[in-house]
Amino acid sequence: MLPRRRAVLVLALCLLATACGELPRDPEGALGRVRGGRLRVGLVEHPPWVVRTEGEPSGAEVELVRRLAAELNARPEWHWGGEQRQMEALERFELDLVVGGITKSTPWSKYVGLTGPYFEETYAVGFPGSPTPPKSLKGVEVAVRGGDPAAYYLSKEGATVSRVSSLTPVSGPVAAPTWELDGLGLVASDKELHTEKHVWAVPPGENGWIKRLEEFLSRERPQVKGLLQKESAR
Amino acid sequence: MKFPVEPFELPPDKRESLRRAKRLEWVTIFFLLSIIAAVGLTMGASQTMKAMWTEDLLSLVPPVAFLYGARYLGVPPDDRFPYGYRRAMMIAFLCAAVALFGFGLYIFADSVAKLIMAEHPTIQTVEIFGRRVWLGWLMIAALVYSAVPPFVLGRMKLPLARELHLKALQTDAAVNKGDWLSGLAGVLGLVGIAYGYWWADSVAAGVISFEILRDGFGDLKNSVAQLMNKRPSDVESKEKDPTVDEVQKALERLDWVREARVRLREDGDVLTGEAFVVPRDERDLLKRLEEANDAAHEVDWRLHDINIVPVESLEEGKGGKTRAAGA
Repeated sequence: MLPRRRAVLVLALCLLATACGELPRDPEGALGRVRGGRLRVGLVEHPPWVVRTEGEPSGAEVELVRRLAAELNARPEWHWGGEQRQMEALERFELDLVVGGITKSTPWSKYVGLTGPYFEETYAVGFPGSPTPPKSLKGVEVAVRGGDPAAYYLSKEGATVSRVSSLTPVSGPVAAPTWELDGLGLVASDKELHTEKHVWAVPPGENGWIKRLEEFLSRERPQVKGLLQKESAR
Repeated sequence: MKFPVEPFELPPDKRESLRRAKRLEWVTIFFLLSIIAAVGLTMGASQTMKAMWTEDLLSLVPPVAFLYGARYLGVPPDDRFPYGYRRAMMIAFLCAAVALFGFGLYIFADSVAKLIMAEHPTIQTVEIFGRRVWLGWLMIAALVYSAVPPFVLGRMKLPLARELHLKALQTDAAVNKGDWLSGLAGVLGLVGIAYGYWWADSVAAGVISFEILRDGFGDLKNSVAQLMNKRPSDVESKEKDPTVDEVQKALERLDWVREARVRLREDGDVLTGEAFVVPRDERDLLKRLEEANDAAHEVDWRLHDINIVPVESLEEGKGGKTRAAGA
């Protein structure tokens, strides 16, 4: 048994040394197909990540996908749809990528592949004009968009939640992601309400493709905040 | 209450071996904990690694059961347990066997399910020193690490298990074998995944589960049989223990004994039971029985608390209802 074990060990080390660049490969060949070909992207409407317009799609993630396609010399092919349909298509290798503000905690992770988180969206409370935000939110009236799950975390902190249809014009403390608070010129509290880790969804097991995407996303990471602010300022 | 039975004591060389076995089990627990940490850190969302991790957790059962059972090996009999505590080791053996069998079933079911579902395992990358490194390589490193200690420790345990006749220890060594085999299967599977063969690791794990299931089933059968007072066998429970015949021959060599019949059972590591002897004449019987007792116990260090029962004949029923119970 021993010589065989040693052989396997040596084999593994050789692989590590020589093949790290080309490996892992995709069982269904996604990366090879996309390069110089078409990139089939499933879009799920989720402003400002993915924004549906009359003409070409826009949004922070759509912009990132365009940059990726340019790098891979590929032509993006947009497919609009709900998350259910997009994920089922992805699971069956009918799409190469699904974007739409998807986070790491998505229950679809059982069926499709996810990249590692490339952007952490932290929810906090912003205070207009106050240089030192209060330590506790207890009893403070905070505005939050109606239907935003951040309301739950606010009430857990003991804040008085006021659900509004639009955050602007700002008249008091506001709960939103920190990139948005920055854009509104608000001072964010140190207290974080909630963090969402954003990912892209990919076909299951296409490990070479995921690696390529993660390399791209980790390079683009510093740009994401600016893209989001630009998109929501429109 | 006191009984005219000497408490069992291991011979000095065996006592030293038992100390070594216990030390090995502590070392095993230490390495298992470090392996659980290493595999846990690299497992990410991988189902394969999750299975490995569960497996490593299960592997903790036999050494813990062994050490717990070994604590009772030295405890002398008392009023509550007049036959002593040595059978605790048989319970440890049963626990270890259940763990080994469960571990085989788990890997088997898991890999078959994955093959049927055609599950493509997704493995991400992590950033190390500014480079994206595929987690699969780190998993391979963790699995290689997880295979080495069980490989070495299992091999060190087997001779001790044979020497001390500790089946719980032998089963633990089999679990170690399962550990390193499945670690190796995991490495092969991950290399397969790297080359784009999504089914590689399920197939490797499935093949190895057969080996583990076979060991586990054998040990399970043996431990239950041992609790049912089956005839003693060697640690691998392949062959019947020759000690029974040797005791019988030793007794028949005594010139006042016409015939003898011996039945023994395993009480953990020791052998106990009774020897029926038919004396040629009954003069000085009390002294002669003591002589027979000594002769029987001298055959093997594991013999303890053998009752010499004088009977008129070896025919069924001749020993009387109470003395030869069940006859």
